[in-house]
Parts: sequence; C-alpha cells; structure tokens
Amino acid sequence: MRTDPGPRSQETAVPTDGADLVVHLARFAGELRQRGVPVSLGDQIDAAVALRFIDIADPEEVRISLRTALKVPRRWWTVFDASFDAMWRSAARTAPERRRRRHGRSLPQRWRGDEPRVPLLMRIRRQADAAERPSGAPREETESGCPGYSPRALLRRKAFDECTKEDLLEMERLLGQLARRIATRRSRRLAPSPKGAFIDLRRCFRRSLAHGGEWVDLARRARAVELPHVVALCDTSGSMDAHSRFLLTFLLSLRAAVRRVEIFAFNTSLTRLTPWITSGNATATLERLARNVEDWSGGTRIGECLLTFADEYLPGTVGPDSTVLILSDGLDRGDTESLEVALLAVRRRARQVVWLNPLMGDPRYRPEARGMRAALPHVDRLVPAHDLESLEALLPLLAGRCGRPDTN
Amino acid sequence: MRDRKYIAEPAITTAIHLARSMGKPLLVEGDAGVGKTELAKVMAAVLDTELIRLQCYEGLDTHTALYEWNYQKQLLRLRMSDDGGRTEGVEEVIFGRDYLLERPLLRAITRVDQAPVLLVDEIDRSDEAFEAFLLELLSDFQVTIPELGTIRATHRPLVVLTSNRTREIGDALRRRCLYLYIEHPSFAKEVEIVRSKVPGVSEALADEITRVVQELRGRRLMKPPGVAETLDWARALVTLHYDRLDPAGVAETLGCLVKDWYDMRELDAGEIDALLSVAGAR
Repeated sequence: MRTDPGPRSQETAVPTDGADLVVHLARFAGELRQRGVPVSLGDQIDAAVALRFIDIADPEEVRISLRTALKVPRRWWTVFDASFDAMWRSAARTAPERRRRRHGRSLPQRWRGDEPRVPLLMRIRRQADAAERPSGAPREETESGCPGYSPRALLRRKAFDECTKEDLLEMERLLGQLARRIATRRSRRLAPSPKGAFIDLRRCFRRSLAHGGEWVDLARRARAVELPHVVALCDTSGSMDAHSRFLLTFLLSLRAAVRRVEIFAFNTSLTRLTPWITSGNATATLERLARNVEDWSGGTRIGECLLTFADEYLPGTVGPDSTVLILSDGLDRGDTESLEVALLAVRRRARQVVWLNPLMGDPRYRPEARGMRAALPHVDRLVPAHDLESLEALLPLLAGRCGRPDTN
Repeated sequence: MRDRKYIAEPAITTAIHLARSMGKPLLVEGDAGVGKTELAKVMAAVLDTELIRLQCYEGLDTHTALYEWNYQKQLLRLRMSDDGGRTEGVEEVIFGRDYLLERPLLRAITRVDQAPVLLVDEIDRSDEAFEAFLLELLSDFQVTIPELGTIRATHRPLVVLTSNRTREIGDALRRRCLYLYIEHPSFAKEVEIVRSKVPGVSEALADEITRVVQELRGRRLMKPPGVAETLDWARALVTLHYDRLDPAGVAETLGCLVKDWYDMRELDAGEIDALLSVAGAR
C-alpha cells in the first residue's frame, strides 16, 4: 500500500526506494539509541514492515506508526519527536500542548514543560544552586541541635571514615546469616510441595494412572516462596553523614543476599546507585560510589528528590510486592507539600513504605522535624536505624506478610 | 468505529491498522479510564467477531488461563472402563480433546470459523511468570499441552493487551507487541464522546462537564478522572434532570467524578465555585 510521495519527496526526504528506506530507518534508530531510547534490531524490522502498510507521504502517519512499531515508551516521546523532526525534516507537527499537560500533572510548576528528560539531575542541581532560600524564611522550630545541616550542596566528596572496617565486616557476616530468613514471603502462586495444604488434582490424577485409577497418595501444592523486593532511598546529606555509610553497607549486604534490591541516594538530587554496584565487598563499592556520585554530604531536599523518584522511577521499580525503605533523618527545608505528594504516590504503588530514622536511637527523640512530621501520616512504619540491632529488627518487616495495619 | 460510539484519534486507528496488517499483538497503555478495554470491545464489535477476555491477577496460572482437565469426567471414564487395572488404552482417551476444559487463551487460538479478538486485560497485575508464559503464545500463536502435543492457531487472534503501568512490562513481551499509548482526549473529542454515549445530554451540559473534567485533569489530583468518570458523571446529571451545572448539583454528584478521599477533601465548596466559573457555568 505504499504510495509514491511524489513532489513532496524533496522536502520530506522520505525515500521511495525500499533499501534506501531501511538505511534511513537504521540511521534514525541509531540516533534514537544514542539519545538513550531503547530500540532493538527487532523493533527496527517491525518499523520497516509497518511502513509498508501505511501512507508514507503523510509525515504524521509515519510518526505515529514508527512510534508504535518501535515501541517507544511514553517517557521517551519528547526525545522521539525531536529526533523524528530533525531526521525526517518534515514540518514540526508535534503536539506540545497535550504533552505539556500530561507531563505537568501532579508536579510542581517549575517542572512543567518540554525540557529534555535526561539531564534532570543536572537541572535540579542547578536549581538547587540558583534558588538560594531566603535566609529569613520562617521556621517552625529550631533544628540547631542536630548534626550538620548544610543548606546548600557543597559538592564535597568525603571519605567514609566513621565506621571501622571490622564493624562493617561483622555486619556483612551477620546480614548474610539473616538473608535466608528474609526469603519467606509467600506468593499467591501454587508450587508442588510434598506437604502443601492444597491438593494438586492434575498431578494426583497422573499418579493414579499408575495404580489403575486408584488414588493411592495425594500430590500437594503450597504457596510458592517469593523473594522480597526492596527499593531503598538513602539520604546522604551532611546531617546523615555519621549514618549513611553504615546504612549503605546494610543495603549492599541486603542486595547481595536477595538481589532484588534497588538503591537510590538523595541529597539535593536523586541518583540511582544500582548501576554502580557490582559484586564484591561492600567497602570497595562504597568507595567507588563516593568517587562517582556527586553532592555526597551536601544539603537535603527530600521532597523534591522523592518527587523525582515518583516521577522518573516509580512505574519501573516499585510494584505491588515492593517494600520502599526511606533512610533519612527528615531534616529538610524543602517544601513539605511535595514530600507529601511524593509519599502518597509511592505508597499507593508499594506494598509498604518504611521510614528508617537514625535519630530514633535517642529515647528522647520525637518526630518533630518539619519533613518528618509531614511524612509521618504517609508511611506505614517509622523505625529506628542507628545500630545493627535496629536493622536486624527490620528484616522480618521486609520478609513477613505484614499487610498495612491501618488501611485495607 | 464512530458508529460503535468509539471516538478514536488517528494514533489509535493507525495502531490498530498496523496490528491487523502485521499480525502482531497490540500493547495498550494509558491512564485509568481512557478506554483501553473499551477499545478491544469495539474492535470485536466492528469486526463482528467474538471477544475473548482474560482478566489478569496476581497468581494467575495456566490452569485458569489456558486449559484444565475435566477430572470428574476423566475419573468417571476410568471407573467405567472396568478392565482390571489396565489403563493403556484408556489413557489415550481420557487425555483427549473431549476431556479438556478450554480456558480463554486456548479458546482464542482454537476458534475454527474466524479470528476472535483476545483481550488480555491488565497484564501488569499478573506476575512475571505468567508474562513469560504468554511469550510463546503471542509470538507463535501456539501452545503446548504435554498430554496432547502442540496446538497451533487456526486463525490468528487479534490480541490486545492492556496495562495500567502498576509495574513495567517485561522487555521481551514488549518487543513482541506493537505499542499504543492512549492519552486523555482533547476537549472537542471528549464533548463528542459524551454526546454520543449519553443520550439526553444537552449541548451546554456536555460542554460544561467536559470543561470541568479537563480542568480537573490539569490539577494535582490523586486519581485524575478518566473518560469513564466523565461519562458516569454525565449520566448521573442527566438522571437527576440537570440541564446546566450548578454548585448543588456538582456537590451531589461529585462521587461519580472524584474517587479519592484526598481529592474529595480538596474540592470544597469554594473550589467547586472556581471550577464552575472556569467551565463558564456561572
């Protein structure tokens, strides 16, 4: 059904020749890949096939078809459209209005618009630097008694020296022992098991054939064991300095044990740490992280960072079986509204949200910091995280079938 | 499709056209209530064929999705064949087609007269194990039953998978499908949808309803209203004989539109007034 583009072929640069088209398509796919859009060879073939069924003289139809056949996920549409316009040199028939509306929903005003998605971290960092908070801003309480709150990202790279090497090794060992206990969450799915509670009719019947149709013994099934899925967001700001190394080691050990652990770090911006993590001991990984992750030990913007997380990563990382751990002291001068919005969004999607607060080790501690107070109604649990014991107490929470006590 | 009261954007019709021409499943994503499921229903109606629906949930397995043996019938057959514990001949019989209970997926590929539309709804609710199982079915349109062998599709069904993105669909499955993302409709489209789907709605009311809904979508709501909510709301207002929106009517019927406690709390009387002035009802 391919039609000849005719006189328009000059401006639209859509070639009429099949082989030429494939070359163009390959170049276009390469361009997309370079910009980070996941496009495979299979998609390319699909796209080539798809173009045979449509009117390639119509740029809009070509755009829609390519997007469909290349399976471009929604979050890449802006990039896709830009590449498409540049590549196929057709009139820019994007739909910025629609896109802006969708994109901007449930986000603060300043994130609306068609800014490219990729340099988000940089953008936030710039904002953090530019938007110096008014120094006379009213505060509901003094947070002066807490360690090292720094209002601005200082781009410091600080060596981890709070915990001794022996402590960390001991912790890794203990957590390794506990790992097996974590993996006990039961799935809804049934798997064969000799002492299961459910009778497996299909296998029973099969077995009975060996005895001429007599049911001698019953085959059984039980709920399958499911590994927990953990998404951890670790505060690495100045006020958490004394704890963040400890907590990150904990997370790395957890990851070594269960594999299904995603780790993010946040301070003034959010960074996904998972790609930096390789097998091997925690100490080496941590040092590599400190070298590569910027803004280590800077200020905090919990709300904005969680909102970034909710916006960018939520659909891909958090599902109904995920436990979201937030490790932070809740000392934050960002706006609490975005923190609440983000936590609500996260909690809706996750199995549970657990906030680990190292300050809770102090028996006199009350969750009164502004950020903490705003977050409290939106988390399932607030637990201490100041020593190994408190982290051990956390493990059953990750593993057990603990539903939400208040809702559902 | 317009005859079936489905107002489709070019992106949607193009995607369906491609899915049919290329014989590939169509993965449809989009916010809740934009008409993903409806799309499959309308496709079946337009093509005048059967719609086979599989609702996914966590723990969905082959027994409920693909096939199950009819144990009672098998047992009965065994008991009746009274030949002193010899099962060789009987085995072939009781593991035959007659003793097989077809579940949606098997039925979709064994239809003999014409290709049905297979709707795999909310695939994101099923677990990864089931997703992996779907791969064989969706790429080759065949399934393997150990006792029977491989069954190939007589007619390739037109497959529509929908997802609400509660979790990311695996790459392998995504690669086997064409991808369609349905956005919320534009103002003109939505007015058209309301007027075609809700008989008895006045032109002015349809306009106002749509304006309010579109305004709400632009806000920071927990559950932004989809087209389904718009239609529910319009029907409620028509049932209560409203010709125009007024604050009392909106307050009465707000539950059709806003389905979240937090959102409900946000929309107090003052907010409703503001909304209505946006809608031009005041």
